[in-house]
Amino acid sequence: MMTEGKFSVIGKSKPRIDGRVKVTGQAKYTGDLKLSNMLVGKILTSPYAHARILNIDTSAAEKLPGVKAVITHKDVPSLKYGISPARWDENIFCIDKVLFVGDKVAAVAAIDEETVYKALALIKVDYEILPAVFDPIEALQEGAPLLHEEYAGNVNTEIHQNFGDVEKAFAEAYYVRNDTFVGQRTYQCPIEPHSAISVWEGGKLTVYSSTQSPHYFQYYIARQFDLKMGDVRVIKPHMGGGFGGKLEPTGLEFAGAALAMRTGRPVKMFYDRHEMFAHNRGRHKQFMKVTTGVDKNGKILGVHADFIMDGGAYTSLGVATAYYAGAMLPLTYEYENYKFDMIRAYTNLPACGAQRGHGHPQPRYAYESHLDMIAKDLGMDPLELRLINTRKRNTVTPNDFRVNSCELEACLIKAKEISGWEEKRKNLPSGKGIGLAVGSFVSGAGYPIYRTDLPQASAMIKVNEDGTSATLYTGAVDIGQGSDTVLCQMAAEAMGFTYEQMKIVSADTETTPHDFGAYASRQTLMSGAAVKQAGEEVNKQVIEMASIMLRTDYRDLECCEGVIWRKTDPSVTITFAAVAREFFVRKGPLVGKGSYTPPKLGGKFKGAPVGTSPAYSFCAQISQVDIDEETGEIKVEHVWDVHDCGTVINPALLHGQVHGALFMGVGEAVWEEVVFDDKGKILNANLGEYRLPTALDMPGITSELVFSAEPEPAGPWGVKEVGEGSTIPTMGCYSNAIYDAMGVRVYSLPLSYEKVWRALKEKREQEQQK
Amino acid sequence: MQAIQDKEGVKRYLITLYVNGDPYTKVVKANTLLVNVLRDELDLTGTKKGCELGDCGSCTVLLDGKPVNSCLVLAVEADGREVLTIEGLGENEKLDPIQEAFIANAALQCGYCTAGMIMSAKALLNSNPNPTEQEAREAIAGNLCRCTGYVNIVKAILSCGRQSKGGDE
Amino acid sequence: MYLPDFDYIIAASVAEASRMLGSLGPEARVIAGGTDVLPMLKQGTLVTKTLISITRLSELKNISFEKGKGHIIGALVTHNEVMKSPVLQDKYMSVCETAHRMANNQIRNIGTIGGNITNAVPSADFPPILITLGAMVTLQNSSGSRTLPLEEFFTGPRRSVIKQDEILTEIVIPENGFTGSTYHKFGLRRSGALAVVGVAVAVAMEGNICKDARIALGAVAPTPIRVKEAEALLKGKEVSDALLEEAGKLAAAASNPITDIRGSDEYRRDMVRVFTRRCLHKAIANGHA
Repeated sequence: MMTEGKFSVIGKSKPRIDGRVKVTGQAKYTGDLKLSNMLVGKILTSPYAHARILNIDTSAAEKLPGVKAVITHKDVPSLKYGISPARWDENIFCIDKVLFVGDKVAAVAAIDEETVYKALALIKVDYEILPAVFDPIEALQEGAPLLHEEYAGNVNTEIHQNFGDVEKAFAEAYYVRNDTFVGQRTYQCPIEPHSAISVWEGGKLTVYSSTQSPHYFQYYIARQFDLKMGDVRVIKPHMGGGFGGKLEPTGLEFAGAALAMRTGRPVKMFYDRHEMFAHNRGRHKQFMKVTTGVDKNGKILGVHADFIMDGGAYTSLGVATAYYAGAMLPLTYEYENYKFDMIRAYTNLPACGAQRGHGHPQPRYAYESHLDMIAKDLGMDPLELRLINTRKRNTVTPNDFRVNSCELEACLIKAKEISGWEEKRKNLPSGKGIGLAVGSFVSGAGYPIYRTDLPQASAMIKVNEDGTSATLYTGAVDIGQGSDTVLCQMAAEAMGFTYEQMKIVSADTETTPHDFGAYASRQTLMSGAAVKQAGEEVNKQVIEMASIMLRTDYRDLECCEGVIWRKTDPSVTITFAAVAREFFVRKGPLVGKGSYTPPKLGGKFKGAPVGTSPAYSFCAQISQVDIDEETGEIKVEHVWDVHDCGTVINPALLHGQVHGALFMGVGEAVWEEVVFDDKGKILNANLGEYRLPTALDMPGITSELVFSAEPEPAGPWGVKEVGEGSTIPTMGCYSNAIYDAMGVRVYSLPLSYEKVWRALKEKREQEQQK
Repeated sequence: MQAIQDKEGVKRYLITLYVNGDPYTKVVKANTLLVNVLRDELDLTGTKKGCELGDCGSCTVLLDGKPVNSCLVLAVEADGREVLTIEGLGENEKLDPIQEAFIANAALQCGYCTAGMIMSAKALLNSNPNPTEQEAREAIAGNLCRCTGYVNIVKAILSCGRQSKGGDE
Repeated sequence: MYLPDFDYIIAASVAEASRMLGSLGPEARVIAGGTDVLPMLKQGTLVTKTLISITRLSELKNISFEKGKGHIIGALVTHNEVMKSPVLQDKYMSVCETAHRMANNQIRNIGTIGGNITNAVPSADFPPILITLGAMVTLQNSSGSRTLPLEEFFTGPRRSVIKQDEILTEIVIPENGFTGSTYHKFGLRRSGALAVVGVAVAVAMEGNICKDARIALGAVAPTPIRVKEAEALLKGKEVSDALLEEAGKLAAAASNPITDIRGSDEYRRDMVRVFTRRCLHKAIANGHA
């Protein structure tokens, strides 16, 4: 450890610890693994959006040579499950009814892939097709087809939160405005398909899975099959992206476990790309009505957010999503009066869950667009309107979120400066525009997904016997964001060791200590806190041993980058390795342990926990666009992102996260949308028609940071999140830039070329009528 | 091409692929795809499957020096031809400069698109040692990445170009 | 994904391929690059018993220029080979640029111009530009060969006049008096996108007079279509912004697009108007660049 403010390992762009294995093709992802005697399995899904299952005939499939097992609901526990504890509404295989095109009906295990596909085609299912509903507003009407008996009126989640007195605020406001926006269904599209290998041996289940949380998978799989958690081992090999879609166990884990138990052989299951789209658990479509009352200076007095979400056929993470959608709105602006109403409805479409930004990017698009229109109505610069309202540090939101560090104002001022905002707003020619939006996100959710008193994170460090390396054991999950690298840097910093000598074992429930996994941008802060504690424990033991070996008071010793020296006489030194070795000889293993539990956060009202966090990131984004006035084609020329994300552990990885989060925001802002036919089947379940931006489509990105004078107290070394923060403002940012360019507002996402064209056309027609 | 028929009448073909400089003789069906021969028969799992329809590029290999989607190449069409996969880059312990550049520029995160991305980049640098940014972006436009926004990938490719020029830009 | 079983035959000559196609009937089809056939087989939109591979027919891989005949492109020339061909770049950069805009680099290395034409999807990129340049295609079978204008090749989505036993062997752009041509592919992203609207234009200019014009549209009708009304409007006239705008309007009126997940018919029609006008400007000013 070093003197305050100066770091030896963190703050440096160390190369990824898994960089070499990935660039050489040596890294094994779940789908690359081959186990002895392994079978291949796949799931048969429903072609109908809503139908009763009358009969399933697996006999022809079972007779196909090479088929080892065919299973349906009769062969698996009928216990309902779901990642949201309040809503267990899914079965491993549908029993009475299928609820969306892609719902799970049966599964096959066979000796090779080709045989599996052939066997699936031989399973005969008789369905009685039922009326289906594909729109949440329709689903909530009287007489709409009912998906789940237990959820009357297809209401999955209903939220009514009321803080202060919004009606009074509106009555006293100088100006009140409301706007309605629609956000579209999108899908995470990790490049690696879901995959899971289940092994059943001697009463113990091992699952290799492309998962964001071995712990949640272990917990729910154990529960499903009535196993002790200690008899279920979940391992995450190298993993090709999740973005929220791989946080809950899928049919692949549950059916895979059942097939492995039945056949006694390892079973590898996977989704094809179109099956991934059907499984989904991506972003919800939202209808968002926002109302704000402001005083004559533009100060926000009260806000009402009234939302409806299309949840699809199952809950997935959707309860939390529904809360996050509205709960996070007051984070960026200071006001006392806030009303949030939300209904998440069931529809006969693939279930929606958590996708980068978890429910909040679209409400941000709505709110930031809405604020820009208020600015216009008041004759104000939209940036000035933000500055009047930005949240300051050490404040509490009306819904009881405590914000410690907050540099949103500084983010805005810097964004204004580096983008040339002032100049451009006056001088850009028609067709070019500049727009801004802000956002905020949690650095880990204050409470885990299911109710438990387990710590959020824990870690162990073992220094090897001759002290020339140390291994970090952490349950934290590297899904590509680089947590393995960053946590090793944190371990080395806390120990006074070097990153280059660190090794890591992560995301294996048998060998690594508990951690909830990669979601809600929690790991740098939460897993990092546990790692820091473990490292400090090692450091303490090393310093104690060194003080004996050097005959020096422990307070006079400094330990940094693997060397210990006497502060008052630096010529007296000893290596960390020598001390560690001596420690081992005299006392046995040199081990450090840490764990992290956040303080009790949040208020006492219903849903209060969702949105709580030890710390919040803040971000201001400005984008410059060039619109083709005749075609509506949007060229995004540049995006400036200024982030308040606390202390930086690894600058290269941090900016990489900004790039990636922004990329996702860009894609969803302009191109991405999951589209259905009138029977609930996805029309674009492939990467040709579901358009991710290519390398030729991306704007230039400038990613900058601002820092507080005092670091965030809740995070180790003052860290906060960055992985999701930059997805939040992007859609609103583009919406505002388009408005600045062309004077037209697009009220639904994506902001496609055709929609811009149509808005321009309508504007021209209106002007002609005058 | 030699073919044999089993008792069900299913034909299999004898093919030789030159993969990363080595000859591999395999017996395959007509519907066997090159990507599956590489991954399943030769255990070269660096080449990935992301979509199997030629949209994502994670299966990119060099076929006679040209980047192709191996998920759209029948193994029988690759008979007698040279295939370069990610495992074929570099020399013994030494990494290829493009691999080094990816690490040095943090041009990968989850790494799933990385093999295909590097193969496209390698093909570009083989024929155009000092590409412009536009040329770099075009070369990888058929490789989808969900993690990086391509920012550092383009940086890595351009840094190889500057290197080949023999100095800093 | 599942690629169904099929029989596989390597054709050693065009004649052999044609014979086999004839004898095996509609359950057999040709595979060249496979970038269209294999995805369709995987997705179940194509069912076939036999694939006849013509990839070893090196006689179909040439690009050349023959005085008196024109530019000859073999059917098995890949999109990237079209793009990079010095022979084509010398005269018809517009055709090379068209190839450049297709799919992505990996697909362009194995997809063929013959495949793009014979697949006959309405949004195909080569047909419009080739039609404006008066391209002719040669279809060969074991009894002989026939040559017809590309314009007459297409009969509907994925349908053409090609007979079961015919192979498309070459495309010829005859020598002509066009001074400029261009193709604009309007897609929803800059790579890996099908044309929402495709507009091709060829003009023969003499000073400011348009002696002759050809306009062809893709993705806005069941087949690529020529817009003869617009061509007639331009023929012999002095060009002006107003004239080109008028031509665009006629092209829009002649188009017959559908509404699908990529765009509405209304939008496509208006894009035809805009891009016809812009393409005319470009072809008039920039030659075949």
